[in-house]
Order: sequence, then C-alpha cells, then structure tokens
Amino acid sequence: MGVMRYVAKRLGLYLAVLFIGLTITFLLPRLMPINPVDGYIGQIQSRANGSISAEAIAELRVNLEQLYGLEGDLFTQYLAYLKRVVLNFDFGPSFTYYPQPVSAMILNALPWTLGLLLMSTFIAWVMGNMVGLVAGYFHRKKAASVLEFVGILLYPIPYYILAVTVLLLLAYVFPIFPLSATFPVGQMTPEKFGMIIYNSLLPGITLVLAGFGWNILSMKALAVATTEEPYVTYARLKGASNWMRMTRYVFRNALLPQVTALALSLGMVFNGALLTEMIFSYPGIGLVMRTAATGGDYNVLYGAITLSIIAVATAGLVIDLIYPLLDPRIRHR
Amino acid sequence: MARLGRYLLAPVLGALMTTTGFAQGAMTDVGTPRSETLIVQAFDGRSANPSAQNPLNSYAIWRGFRELGWSFLWEMDTATGESYPELADGFPEVLNDERTQFRVKLREGVYWSDGVEFTADDVIYTLETAFKYREQLTNVATVTNYVKSWNKVDDYTFEIETVRPAYDFTTVLGVYTWGSQFNIVPKHIFEPLGDEVVTFQNAPAVTLGPYKIREFDPNGFWQLWELREDWERSGWGNLGEPKPRYILYKDFGTEETRALAFVQNQYDVDTFMSPDSIDAAKARNPNIETFSPTFPYHDMNDACSYGIYINGQKAPFDMPEVRWALALTVNLQQVGISAMSGQFKAGALPLADTPITGPLYYDELRSFLEELTLADGYKPFNPNFGAELAETLAAQGVDASQLPSGDAIRDGFGMGWWKHDPEQAASLLESVGMVKGADGYFALPDGSPWTFELVIPGDWNKVMQRIGFSIADSWRQAGFNVSARQVDNGEFTTVQNTNSRNELQLNWSNSCTYNSNWQNSWRQFTPNNVQPADSTDQLSGNYMRITDERIFDLVAESASLETNAPEFIENGRQIARYLVEDMQMINLMNIPTTIPTNSTYWTNFPKQDNFYATPYTWWSSFKQTVVRIEPTGQQ
Repeated sequence: MGVMRYVAKRLGLYLAVLFIGLTITFLLPRLMPINPVDGYIGQIQSRANGSISAEAIAELRVNLEQLYGLEGDLFTQYLAYLKRVVLNFDFGPSFTYYPQPVSAMILNALPWTLGLLLMSTFIAWVMGNMVGLVAGYFHRKKAASVLEFVGILLYPIPYYILAVTVLLLLAYVFPIFPLSATFPVGQMTPEKFGMIIYNSLLPGITLVLAGFGWNILSMKALAVATTEEPYVTYARLKGASNWMRMTRYVFRNALLPQVTALALSLGMVFNGALLTEMIFSYPGIGLVMRTAATGGDYNVLYGAITLSIIAVATAGLVIDLIYPLLDPRIRHR
Repeated sequence: MARLGRYLLAPVLGALMTTTGFAQGAMTDVGTPRSETLIVQAFDGRSANPSAQNPLNSYAIWRGFRELGWSFLWEMDTATGESYPELADGFPEVLNDERTQFRVKLREGVYWSDGVEFTADDVIYTLETAFKYREQLTNVATVTNYVKSWNKVDDYTFEIETVRPAYDFTTVLGVYTWGSQFNIVPKHIFEPLGDEVVTFQNAPAVTLGPYKIREFDPNGFWQLWELREDWERSGWGNLGEPKPRYILYKDFGTEETRALAFVQNQYDVDTFMSPDSIDAAKARNPNIETFSPTFPYHDMNDACSYGIYINGQKAPFDMPEVRWALALTVNLQQVGISAMSGQFKAGALPLADTPITGPLYYDELRSFLEELTLADGYKPFNPNFGAELAETLAAQGVDASQLPSGDAIRDGFGMGWWKHDPEQAASLLESVGMVKGADGYFALPDGSPWTFELVIPGDWNKVMQRIGFSIADSWRQAGFNVSARQVDNGEFTTVQNTNSRNELQLNWSNSCTYNSNWQNSWRQFTPNNVQPADSTDQLSGNYMRITDERIFDLVAESASLETNAPEFIENGRQIARYLVEDMQMINLMNIPTTIPTNSTYWTNFPKQDNFYATPYTWWSSFKQTVVRIEPTGQQ
C-alpha cells in the first residue's frame, strides 16, 4: 500500500509539473519582444531589398495572422493550444517555415540529437565514474592524483574553447576528421552508416571530454567519503579483497547520486547541444530551437520546449520510481 | 587490461584509416569530383527547412534556387544595372497609353528540368493559382497587388494588365538586382495537386535553369546541383555553357571552421567572412583573394547602404538641429577603422554610391553637397573625407601601395562625408535650448535628462553590430547619453515597424537603389505609410519615417514616369536633396560585402578589375559567374 501511495503521489506530481510547464511554455514566447508575423515579413522584405509594396505587406500580414492562428484573445488561443497539444500532440505548422508541421521538424532533428548526446553522455558517465572510482578508492596513492588531475584539467575548460581546440587539433593540424560534417542522404548503406559515425566522432569526442571531468571529480569525492565508512573498514578487516571492497562496498553506495545525475543529464539531452551543433555543423534540436527563438516561431518553441519538459519530468519520475529498487532504505521506509 | 585497450582501439583506428580518404581525396564529401565541383558557402547558412521548395510559399531563394534553379522573365545585368530578357523573347510590348496593358512573348524551345516544354500555360497557371489562393499562399502578395488581369494569346504569348501604370514592369515581374518576386511554377507538376498546392513542399523541385537538384541534405547543411544534359534548352541556356558540372552550396559552420576549411581548399567562394579571418586565411593560402587587390579590399557594390534611421516624429528628433548634431558627432573615420579596419566607402546621400548610382546621383549632386549650408551659415560637407582616411590609415601602418590615391580615392573611399565637428553640433543643440548638464550629457530643452537608444543587430549581422557600437561610442564622447541595444532579427523588424518602440535604428531597408529606378525603395514614402508617433500599429513600409509632403508629391508624380527618364532621375535627386537638407536620415556607407575566393580549383571570379557581374553567390546574377569561371585543372 505504501509503495502504491508513493507511486500515485509521484505520478500526480508529474502531471502537475507537465500542466504548469505547458502553461508557461504557452506564455513565455508571447512575452518575447518579437512578433512572428513581423519576423516573416521582415525576412521577405529583406530578401526583396525593401521592394515589396505596402499593399502587399498589409495583405500578407492579414493572411499570416489567419494562417498562424494568432487571431482572437490570449485565452482563446490558450484553450486551442491545450486542446491540440494534449489531445493530438499537434503543435501546428511552423510560422517561419509555413506550412511545415512542427512535429516533422522536431522528428527530423531528434534522432541526431539523441544519437549523439545519449551516446556521449553515457560514455562520459561510465568512463568518468570508472576513473573517479579508482582515483577515489586509491586516493592515498600518487597514481590516483594523476587521474584526478585529468578531471581537474578538463572540467574548468569552457566548452567552446575545448571544442575549437579539439577541432583545430584533429581536423586542421592533424586532418583526421572533417572540419564540418557532411552527412550522406538517401537509402542507408553500410558505407553511409560509416560516414555518419565518422562525421559524428569529433563532436562525440568533445562532448565526452567535456562531461568526463565532472564525473571523475564527482565520483572521486563520493568514493573517498564512502571508503572511510565503517562498513568498508569492517569488510577490509573481514579480509575482503580490494576489488571486492571497491566494487561491492564503495561503488554501489557511491553510485546513487551519480545515477540521479545521469538520469537528469539524459532528460536534458532533449534540449540539444547548441554549441556543439553550431561548431561542428551537426544537425539537432538545439539549432531548431535557436532558429525558432530568434524568429519568434512560437509553435516550434512550444514543440521543442514541451518535449524537453516532458523529458526532464519523465526522467525525474523514472528516478523516483527506480530509487526504491536501488536503495532499500526507501523501499522499507 | 592492455589487451582490452587494443581490442577497443582497433575498430576506432580502423574506421579512421578507412575514412580519412574521404577528407583528403579529390572527391568532395558528397561524392562528386572536386575538379568539376564549384563549392560555395551557403549565404543563409544552414536552412532550417530545406524541403520547402515551393516558390509560391516559403520562397526557396538561396542554396541555388534563384541563382541556378529558377528562371525569370527578365534578368538584370548587374554590371550595368540594365535589364535583359531571359525567359521572355524581348521586352514587353506596351498596349495602351496608360501603360497598364502589356504583351509578352516567350522564347520558344525552353524546357523544364523534367523534359516538359515551358509555355505561356505555365505563366497563366502561376497567376491563376496566386490569385485563387492569395489568402493561403505566403509568397504571392507582390504579384497579386501588381497584376489585375491576364490572358493567353498563344502558347508563347500572353498579355497582362496591371493595377496601376507600370513603368517598372520588367523589374517587378522580372529581376531587380537579386531575384524576382514572380516565380513561375510548372503547371504539369502543380495543377494535379488541386487545392493542395498551398501546402505542397515541391521537393525536389522541377526547375527551369540549366542546373537541377541532384541531392540535398534534409538537415539543411548542403544542397547539390548538377548541370542538365540539355542545359542549352534551359531557361538561361542561351547565356553560354556553365562550367562546373556540379555546384555545391554548403554551410561550413562557424567563422572559425569556415576559415580553416577555406585554407584547406575545401570550398571556393565564401560570404561575409570578417576581414580579420580573411587576412588570416590569405596569410596561409596564396590562392585566397579578396574582391579588390588594394584598399578597400572588399566589394562595395550592394544595392543598399547602411544608415541611421531616425524617428523624426518623436521629440527631440523632430528638430533638424538635433538630427544634424547627431550627424556631425559621428566620427565616421573612427567608426570605419574600428569596425571594419578602414575598409568602407562613405556615402552622404541616402543611397549607395556604386559604379551605377555614382554617376546618376552622387556625381550630379556633388556641388549640392559641397555648397550645402545650414541655417547658421555652416558648411557641413567634408569632400576630403577619403583623402584624410587614407592619410590616417597610412599613419597607422597600412602599406601606402595598398591605399588608393588621386582619383582612386573617390572610387575607393567615396566622394566625402560630413565633418566630425562636435563643437558645431553643440552650437546647433544650444540653438534649440539643449545644453550639457553637470553629468556631461546634453539635456532636453526643458532641462530634463535626455537618454535614447540606438537599436542595432546582434550577432546575426556582426558588421552592423560593430558599426552600431562604434557610433554609440562617438556619440557618448560628444555628450549624448545613448545606449546601443543589440537585438535579434525578429525584434529588429518589430522595432523597425513600430513607432512606439523606435527612436534610432541602424538599418538598410529603405536605401536600396541599384540603378536609376529609385522607386524600388522610395516608393514606400507615401502618406499611407505614416502612423502616429506613438502608434503600436505596424508600418508596412517607410521605415525611415518620412513625413515630408514634398517627398510624397515627388514619389506620386514619378509613378507615371519612365524609370530611366531624365525627369524621373531628377525627382530622385530632389528627394535626396530634401532628405539631406533636413538630415531626415543619416546615411553612412555602402554595405561592405566580403566575398573572398579561392582560386585553387576555379579562376576568373568577378573582381574589382574584372567586374562582369556582382560577385554575390546569392544573387541571380551568379549565373554570369558560373558561365564565365574556368577550371584550373587542379585535380
């Protein structure tokens, strides 16, 4: 019964977060000092070197307001928005790229984002935790300081500097990777798949390096603290081997906060990695959101932010639901 | 552990060794021979929706569409500013004295890229569709407001009636500088769709030009065009044989990666690379060239000019003394040096000073500028601006052989600009009761603090961003409490369109005149485009906020004149005089455009001393470039 109440409480919280998130998502773009109709007209006028007549612009303005569903008061628009999103998960057409549906734009970008970020986040987490565990468990040895140094060295480097340095080194000085990605199109073949992997390696390596340092430092601190716990000392006195103590006693207990961090990181993956996408010309949801934000493309912003809210909230829910499995103290509370 | 390491590293190294060839070989990343492929940096960077190729909706304009794919009734020779027939067989025949009825003949033997013949039916279908769905299609408003009726005479002839007398028929339904608002679509593709044309994506598009889409990246980073085997019977096949078999438009990413890729000969023409990056790239690759071999190195022939648009409907900017004070406190020499390393061409008139507009407007108004006198007898024009700039640059260490001298100064740095004279500016302000307060800033006539903002583009236009900050710096030094506010392009347009939010803005949108036809930009100066000073309603033009009745009259009168008639041009000059006399906007300079080229694989790009067309890869005149460039033979 306790578990059921726990699950119901978490689910209720989850739904409340989603509702509040959706409402804020609706309001936020409308507080921006950008009008999507003006944005589109501005683009057209700019392309035309200002040659479109005033009559044509006035007609375009009326048409766009109708097409974009920007007629009516705010509350009417809000109800229509909730109905479309909740019932059909439909965010309507993109304003900037009318009549392209928002869902298609997001679905095109999402696999690239997920492929790169899920993989690199997970690899950085696994490698960082392994190195951090060894560095923390053997923290009195000099070799452990070297491992910690790697984390201290990488963690504070601003991502942009790290990315450009990696790019310069591995694509210009030693031109192993391309400076900007070129992904093949058409029917997937093993060769094309290889090209995709090859073109994704450099941004992937950079993301792993960027995430690696934090995981080392975090896990090392946790492992040092856990190593000093009485039950670890007891295990050593009992004759348990270093390997056994490190993996079974220290790692399992130090892991819990790291799992939380991983789950939240995976939830944030849906925000994309804008800098990575810009620097490496990598397609993804970050660039879609950036274009939408600068152009006042409400619908695309709704779609992308809603997805992100759902992802982060779901990650939080999953953590809450699996914690009892990982931590018996919660299970038996 | 070591064995495990080798096991993990082996596939990675294997992948690297097998794929490095792609980055190094003579083939491009998209699988075409590099020696047969012209590669250009896409003007608009990555396209967020590359599948949108329906010109009746989101106008697919860059990535090769208007340059290689679409074809227009009349094109413009950008070296001279003259129109020439492209799809049309000659210029339109005028059928009535009111100049509202025209007959157009089409060239016979032109075919779409799928082999179907192009005829008047395509033109008629496009017009019918534009009008039928004018409330749903988002790129037909110009045509539907310009054309009244039409009819087909035969397969190669049609007639059009315009809403008003049309002296700009060939440039509205054809090309004015960069492309056309009238994009003809293939009837045989669109008609079967019925009402679905309004949401039709049209990818890959069937096109009229000598190139057809071979492949494009659904993520929008690149678009590959291939020369049609039947290019001679394409929309502009009569221009000559295009030299590259393939043309790749690609976004090479941030400026850092673009510069590196350019050095590595990965592409041939860049767009808007900063002068600093070009210098760095040139130092590492001798094949990289700027537009001009001498200062200023970059192209200055864009149709538009940068200027400070003043909302003269708002106090205290409604006083000409204040506007002149603003102009006389811009240290343009310093602005140009700090923002663009001195590579700019100043212009005091409200339009760009190019080889085409220079003789028509600037040369003719030289004496007006030199003799211009303010109410207090002060002569504000400095005809030695260019020579002084050259001297300053030489003093700063620029190689004298790289600087223009004698008559070349006028061509390079412009005819002159306003004096930098803060004392005169202070005198003008004092004459209207605006004096400096204890804080060192000028106050309003009633003694209250005067603060204002200059809205400038953010990172999306770095040249304007730098210029804007530098101007604000000039003004603050002169005692104006101004802040430069950088905004995204969406907000930039909102500020431009909304009186209540607009004071001063660095802009270009109303100073775009490429030839004698100043109506292209200034036809917006009408009473219909004036809103109350604090209105939140959107303007649909006249972003300079001109309220001068004399100018409205000249614009109205000129609507019934030939756009190259002496009276028409004189009216344009008179508008320029009125704008300058009252300093209704502060024109600064031609838009400087950096178009560095890499001659490793292709040569004979348009340059200052080889100006057969504008060098822009995003104007439809790029067709002249692809016809005239030559392969170097580099494999």
